[in-house]
Amino acid sequence: MKTWLSRFGLVVALLCIGAALSIVKPVFLTFPNLLNVVRQISINGILAVGVTYVLLTGGVDLSLGSVVALSGVVAAIFAHPGDWPVIVPVAAGVLVGAACGGINGLVVTKGRVAPFIVTLGMMTAARGVALVVSGGKPVSNLGESFRWIGSGGVPVIVFLAVSCVSWVLLSNLRLGRHLYAVGGNENAARASGINVEGVKLFAYTICGALAGLGGVVLAARITTGQPNAGVGYELDAIAAVVIGGTSLSGGVGGVGGTILGALLMGVINNGLDLLNVSSYYQAIVKGIIIVGAVWLDQRKEKS
Amino acid sequence: MKRLLAFILALALSGCAQRKSDEGRVLIGVSLLNLSNEFIVMLHRAMETRAAELGVKLIVNDAQRSADRQVQQVETFIAQRVDAIILNPCEVEASSPAVEKAIAAGIPIINVNSETRAAPTAFVGSRDEESARLAMEYIARRLDGRGNVVMMHGFMGQAAQIKRDRGAKDTLAKFPGLKLIAEQSAEWDRAKAMSLMENWIQSLGAKINAVFAQNDEMAMGALLALEQAGLKDKVIVVGVDAISDALQAVKAGRLDATVFQDARGQGQGAVDLAVKIIRKEPFETQVYIPFQLVTRENADKYLN
Repeated sequence: MKTWLSRFGLVVALLCIGAALSIVKPVFLTFPNLLNVVRQISINGILAVGVTYVLLTGGVDLSLGSVVALSGVVAAIFAHPGDWPVIVPVAAGVLVGAACGGINGLVVTKGRVAPFIVTLGMMTAARGVALVVSGGKPVSNLGESFRWIGSGGVPVIVFLAVSCVSWVLLSNLRLGRHLYAVGGNENAARASGINVEGVKLFAYTICGALAGLGGVVLAARITTGQPNAGVGYELDAIAAVVIGGTSLSGGVGGVGGTILGALLMGVINNGLDLLNVSSYYQAIVKGIIIVGAVWLDQRKEKS
Repeated sequence: MKRLLAFILALALSGCAQRKSDEGRVLIGVSLLNLSNEFIVMLHRAMETRAAELGVKLIVNDAQRSADRQVQQVETFIAQRVDAIILNPCEVEASSPAVEKAIAAGIPIINVNSETRAAPTAFVGSRDEESARLAMEYIARRLDGRGNVVMMHGFMGQAAQIKRDRGAKDTLAKFPGLKLIAEQSAEWDRAKAMSLMENWIQSLGAKINAVFAQNDEMAMGALLALEQAGLKDKVIVVGVDAISDALQAVKAGRLDATVFQDARGQGQGAVDLAVKIIRKEPFETQVYIPFQLVTRENADKYLN
């Protein structure tokens, strides 16, 4: 309840922008357009929910975009029509993502290397593996059942499912409370008998797995596995989480805010396109809104 | 430990330096924009094939879109005293120091596919304006010179985006019945183009008669969005580059047209030019490889 109250400012901002857009561009408030918005945010949303786990522990994951590309390519390789049942490419993509996340987690916990460096390394390496696996070319000719995952409302359902499971896990289960404890004060958490390394390893692995899932949905949506896809996605995902009120230093925040953050970014993107704002100004507006949203949120918390 | 490393490094470097004189073969350094781009991969293959035919050796480096890295690569080529350098520039301005340094060191440098501000020894490529002109003229023909067009830009400020924009707008000016009702960047990216097209379908809907995307990746994204909205039969979609996905879509009658940029012609042309210059034979300083419009009728010719 408390987290929802603290997200109140964000809800108001979202409603204000939505109301303004509906007046200037009535088409904004139509069902097909709103479906558009949620579909367009679903990939960023899935990644953002994943990276919420890592940010809550006080870490960071910069490898998301590259992991998206790698798992998209791997899934696409298994998704040619008539090759395998659709569960195989999906599982392959998610597992590859989880493996990348698991390696990140192991090096962070066992190797004691800073998460920024570890995941920066993974960002470069995973992109390289994606290029090697695909031979530098997009993997196309994907089966009907695989492409279905990216069509219509399916990405939205995947995003909602991921959000619900994560919300329950983070706010109601012991593992969730441990994540907050580790991010809030690692030493105190360790003193109280929490397996800090295990919790962190879990956070990076689930973050990687969700990036893998995001890669699968993206490949299905654009009907190819692209080795150069997902560039910059990690920053969009982190931006959504931070706009949603999760602290970069860990311990504070949650999935509810992340969903609102992703939604705000999606609405702005959609609105600027509907208004046909020039690309130059779009970049400026997005930058200002990211910083502005966080600034407003922090001011309100202090008062 | 440090001394050992230094020793190994020195050994490796002297090995590199000696190789050229040992084999007595012509050595050409190549710095490419980005080997994760399908077109550049095709360009690279064409160069390797030609080099093998001519019996010359290529050292190929990937600049990964970074002009800074590209300049460093060219500096290394100069230090290795290669016989010629082929540069596939990342940026007009920022890659220019690479050209200037090679010229100053007396090593011939050939720009391929795109230009730099600094003048190289020779240039092989295509006029990017022409690709947009071919695409826009095709749209004008299909619409009998009347209708509404939307345009998807590449990364704003890149040479290809600026030139394709100019080519498209110059052509539009010749057809007063064609109106550009929206233009926006989708950053050469298929997923971004798909979202942009979905948003345009909401805001402009049935008003759109044709989409010109400055590359095929974006054209494919626009195509997917239109197909899912059930609007494809009402809207003409044209891209540029003739990547294999797009060619297949053209052949299947989904994508209306694309423009073929001759990677093989450019790659071979660059190696040919380099060898001519090294052998001190006469050469042209500007070699233009023409673009070709690909529609359903001639798509087979380009699919291989």
